[in-house]
Amino acid sequence: MSRVSLLAALTYLIFFTGVASLNGDIIGLALPLVLYMLAGLWRAPDELKLSARRVLSEERITPGGVITVKLTVINHGNHLEQVRLADPLPKFLEVIEGSPIRLVSIPAGGEVSCTYTVTGGRGSHSFDGIHVTARDNLGLIRRHALLPAPGQILVLPGLTRVRRISILPRQTRVYSGVIPANQGGTGIEFFGVREYQVGDSPRHVNWRISARQQNVLYSNEYQQERVADVGIVLDGRKSVNEIGGGRTIFEESVRAAVAVSTSLLAEGNRVGLFVYGKKSKWTSPGYGKYQRERILRGLALAETGNDLSFNSLSIPRRLFPPNSLIILISPLIPEDLEILGAVRASGFQLMVISPDAVTFEARRLQPSPAIGLSMRILRLQRETMLRELRHMGIQVVNWDTSTPFEQTAYAALSRPAVWMHAIQRGMKAQP
Amino acid sequence: MTKGAVLFSITACSAFLTYALAVTGFPYPADGAALFGVAWLLLYLRRLNRYNGLTFALFGLFTTASVWAGVSIWYGLSGMIFALLAWDLTAFEETLHGLLNRDDVRKMELAHFARLGLVTSIGFAGVVASRLITIELTLGSALVFTLLGIWGMSALVYRLRGGA
Repeated sequence: MSRVSLLAALTYLIFFTGVASLNGDIIGLALPLVLYMLAGLWRAPDELKLSARRVLSEERITPGGVITVKLTVINHGNHLEQVRLADPLPKFLEVIEGSPIRLVSIPAGGEVSCTYTVTGGRGSHSFDGIHVTARDNLGLIRRHALLPAPGQILVLPGLTRVRRISILPRQTRVYSGVIPANQGGTGIEFFGVREYQVGDSPRHVNWRISARQQNVLYSNEYQQERVADVGIVLDGRKSVNEIGGGRTIFEESVRAAVAVSTSLLAEGNRVGLFVYGKKSKWTSPGYGKYQRERILRGLALAETGNDLSFNSLSIPRRLFPPNSLIILISPLIPEDLEILGAVRASGFQLMVISPDAVTFEARRLQPSPAIGLSMRILRLQRETMLRELRHMGIQVVNWDTSTPFEQTAYAALSRPAVWMHAIQRGMKAQP
Repeated sequence: MTKGAVLFSITACSAFLTYALAVTGFPYPADGAALFGVAWLLLYLRRLNRYNGLTFALFGLFTTASVWAGVSIWYGLSGMIFALLAWDLTAFEETLHGLLNRDDVRKMELAHFARLGLVTSIGFAGVVASRLITIELTLGSALVFTLLGIWGMSALVYRLRGGA
């Protein structure tokens, strides 16, 4: 029951009781209520004729940055005594100055502004509009409106610089880059010797070998360096990433994805991103700074979701040809081994960067013999799982999140694993 | 400031009615009025504001019955006015909830208290004035007078809003 209906019902009840009992005192009791209602109805807001505009000091920031939001509401109608303006904000944004809620009166033709400053972690937010509730001073009659005031805030994930990530994919693209293509041609590293061909530079003639042969010249060949196709798959399954007590290791995974994608794009590779979380989303492969922007945007929007397993994970071949490198960033659970084996068997070269969820959780818990024992068991289970992955020919980077990713990446990825050369040679030997 | 005013209003309205009933010779209803006030305070302090309207309506009917039973109009009227204030200010406090801008809160509180003070003062003055005028009416003429009053109030509101 609305306030005005309640007040009206009570007033009339008292009034008619007074009349029915012919008791003027009872009628007198209703008088303050009648006046209260009259005062409320007299100043009740009419149809709301408001417009709003929003000005953002910046539309995109990195974590720790601040955005000042200025809202201006203009009243094109009659005087409004009490207007509550509320600008709903998502959880990831925190107001550090001012307030997104105001209670003001706006004269006819007047305007009122509301300024507040926010900061926050990774995420994206599109403002729908400003929720306006206008009432009379006594709050009897209310009118609601949603004033359109569009705007978008994008908080990109923080950039982590990794100096170099050395990869050895089985197949490279035709464009020159920095990845050894295992093919002779122009380059820096010595690759082999072949018979001199017309057009070869005299500088490349291997005089020592040519001197041993009669009437035949030999030229040095250098290893071609090219770019590669890399697909980054970010695992956003809630069951794997969320640990308890509201803590999640997903942010660490996002940080690793930023570092890996930035480094690979800086070396000229074609990089795509697949976020397997709340909304499975592909960022189609591309090159350069524009692609970095797209990937950062994709990562800003990444959220964990309730998918139960990787069973629905499929890597579109039209986006990534067989033999391209897939980098999976996931804390992993033993049930994932089967599907990763299947991906590997279908021809993709896999690298797994796995933030260590066991150590991550252990840091939160109070040390005790029982906790120590369970952690030991979990670590052994994880080690076994990672070893099985390595046996499948999958390169694994086990990341203890207490150390910066750059440090782990430098130790594990700054030069290709020796056994990767062996795999590549094996592929070359095939007819 | 609003919270203090709500607590004062609830205490005052129940105190007026309790005292009035006690001096009129209704000890048990007086206890009931006191308990009612305590219950209202508890509901308010536990933030069960959805019962605010019901409590106010029950208090209004209790006061009406008390005046009908012979309790002094002045105590009844004072109780009714404080109950109205308590009901209004509880809703107003909800409106202020979540506001961080102290300047907005202060301005709105001043405007609200001014309006409320004006309305209740005029109401009280109106009752005092009505006590000075005594009209003998039959039931039929009282009903006609009531209907005219309703029509008059509606017309007044319509006119005031049209000119706003």
